[in-house]
Amino acid sequence: MKGRKKVVTAMDALPARSKRSSPPKNRKGAPSPLDRAMGLGGRPRIETGSAAIADLGTAPSPQPTMSEREALDRIDLSVDIAPERGLLLTNPILVASGTFGYGVEYGEVVDVQRIGAICCKGTTLRPRAGNAPPRVTETPGGMLNAIGLQNPGVDAVIDKYGPIWQGWKVPVIVNIAGESIEDYVEVAKRLDGVPGVAGIELNISCPNVGKGGLQFAIDRDAARAVTTAVRRATELPLLVKLSPNVTDVRPIAKAIEEAGADAITAINTLSGLAVSSDRTRAFLGNTYGGLSGPAVKPVALRIVYEVAQVVSIPIVAIGGVTNLDDVLDFLACGAVAVQVGTAIFADPELPVRLGDELRAECLRRGLASYKPLIGTALPKRTGTPSAKGAEYRP
Amino acid sequence: MTMRLVAAELVDSRQILPGQWLQSFHAPELASGARAGQFVHVRTGDYSGLVLRRPFSINTADAATGIITLHFRTVGRGTEWMTRVREGEKLDMLGPLGRPFEVDPRSHHLLLIAGGLGMAGVRMLADEAIRDGRSVTVLFGAANAGHVYPSSLLPDEVEYVVATDDGSMGHHGFVTELMADYEAWADQAFACGPHPMLKRLAALAAGRRERMGVAKLGRRGGGKTDATGSAAARRKSFLQVAMEQTMGCAVGACLGCTVIGVDGPLRVCREGPVFAAEEISWEAIQ
Ligand SMILES: Cc1cc2nc3c(=O)[nH]c(=O)nc-3n(C[C@H](O)[C@H](O)[C@H](O)COP(=O)(O)O)c2cc1C
Ligand code: FES
Repeated sequence: MKGRKKVVTAMDALPARSKRSSPPKNRKGAPSPLDRAMGLGGRPRIETGSAAIADLGTAPSPQPTMSEREALDRIDLSVDIAPERGLLLTNPILVASGTFGYGVEYGEVVDVQRIGAICCKGTTLRPRAGNAPPRVTETPGGMLNAIGLQNPGVDAVIDKYGPIWQGWKVPVIVNIAGESIEDYVEVAKRLDGVPGVAGIELNISCPNVGKGGLQFAIDRDAARAVTTAVRRATELPLLVKLSPNVTDVRPIAKAIEEAGADAITAINTLSGLAVSSDRTRAFLGNTYGGLSGPAVKPVALRIVYEVAQVVSIPIVAIGGVTNLDDVLDFLACGAVAVQVGTAIFADPELPVRLGDELRAECLRRGLASYKPLIGTALPKRTGTPSAKGAEYRP
Repeated sequence: MTMRLVAAELVDSRQILPGQWLQSFHAPELASGARAGQFVHVRTGDYSGLVLRRPFSINTADAATGIITLHFRTVGRGTEWMTRVREGEKLDMLGPLGRPFEVDPRSHHLLLIAGGLGMAGVRMLADEAIRDGRSVTVLFGAANAGHVYPSSLLPDEVEYVVATDDGSMGHHGFVTELMADYEAWADQAFACGPHPMLKRLAALAAGRRERMGVAKLGRRGGGKTDATGSAAARRKSFLQVAMEQTMGCAVGACLGCTVIGVDGPLRVCREGPVFAAEEISWEAIQ
């Protein structure tokens, strides 16, 4: 990137910015007034689709010079996503549950210690064999999965991975699932105090056997009840993950906040279906699958945007993140951090690279921290919360 | 060899059969470390919303030249895109992945059985076996003569036997029907192809022990059983199969690629793609 050296001096001269005084206007690559003042163009973009090599996305960026390196290192990407209990990340790019296993599988090709945090595969009280194959299929701009929460059970996860995670710099958040409140509580209790476990992410998109199979995530009272119960069972930082498959997510998010969650993560997959090639049945062994990938990003953005206006706990955004623009979009809609999921399959180095790119973006904009990028697209909170977004309910 | 992300340069691309392509890539890291049965996960153009890589068996690998070949059929936008890649362009490949075929050192006669594109799964084993001084027979099945893998693409030393569904070339019928003529000759068999074909072969292999009599049982390693999924378990098995399944990550992280094994789900990308036939729960395979 051209002109970085100039930015270094410019940044050093710049006063700390508040998000009100300088909303970043440059998300889509057009030079902002600030950039123009500093003689900078928009962020260069790699043209995709033209030549094979351009799609690699792994081409090494030009080595930063010494002073650039120092300036980059000074930029603060750290964030505490559970301020009351403490879950401090060195950067706001996490990997999403179910797409990064237990953090060990990609170890040969990814420097996992440089990821903000790892959300591990959904973990249940007892081992689960998961759904019948096939379990995944590609769809336009995304994929469907129906893994069925295959996992060895919480005790085996603790035995096998706890000691490994304990030695890691990167925090590991255990994603947990259950079919009853008692299940969730028991899993949380067993994780409480386990070295190497930095937090819990509640996957509430599971059928509640006690309530006729209705998902916890789509029922405000069930979501509140399970969050309350797990909150009592553990002192670990508690993240609760929202499902997009609801009419209005806001009352559910509020209930979760009131029940004591430290943060909200959103979104889980959208319910979908694919048909077999001979059109005699559904393609996936489980019939239904969860849609993820770029196709769900607008839905995730809408939900983050809505939730950000009704809760004050941190929001970690998930859904279709594939590049820095996606990260900046989610931050602008009020997320303090993002998770990368499906995109890892094509580009395993993406989560680490996004951290680097966010750092470079801050430098380019003369920001000492990425925090001013948060919430810039939200309606200004002057009076009562906006009802925008509630109007269009297809 | 550990997996890595490799920029593989296309050096040759040709259509060898209607809709079937053979592409050569310069990728020394893959060519020198890969073994027969392993695969690569190839990233396609980041356009039109393709979000997943495509898994391909490593068809051949030549450490001396640093060349690997992939053999595939155009089945969708990803593979169609690959046919349009030009020589000199580089593809992002993750590999080598999965576990290879394991040949018992005492096996001299190897039977390779392939259905259609399954040839890509066993092709490299023919090279390895001939290099090691073993004799190889390839049984190949296709719908008709127009889809028969060209014998010119196989090593000269290989005996090549063809079956076609319509009888337009070779045996009239399924390739599995040729098994009876070779099961006594073969010390071990290695197969890749559609699941019904593998299922039939597994049933034949299970019955083979009785048909061959007690004498052959002696070489199955005595009473000691090897851990499921271990190289030793595969090495001792008469029939090894390379399975296919839709994949997400291809490194064992997403659990998207499972097939049902006798002890529970098995990840094709990690525990496989090569399995001992006894490891698979064939009733569950359609
Ligand atoms: C293969 C696969 C498995 C997943 N497993 C889980 C899981 O066990 N628990 C969970 O809370 N979310 C799971 N998810 C959902 C992701 O964590 C994430 O919420 C979703 O994929 C949207 O993000 P993305 O578009 O970046 O993939 C899974 C997603 C995929 C693709
Ligand atoms: S493809 Fe992800 S576990 Fe095999």
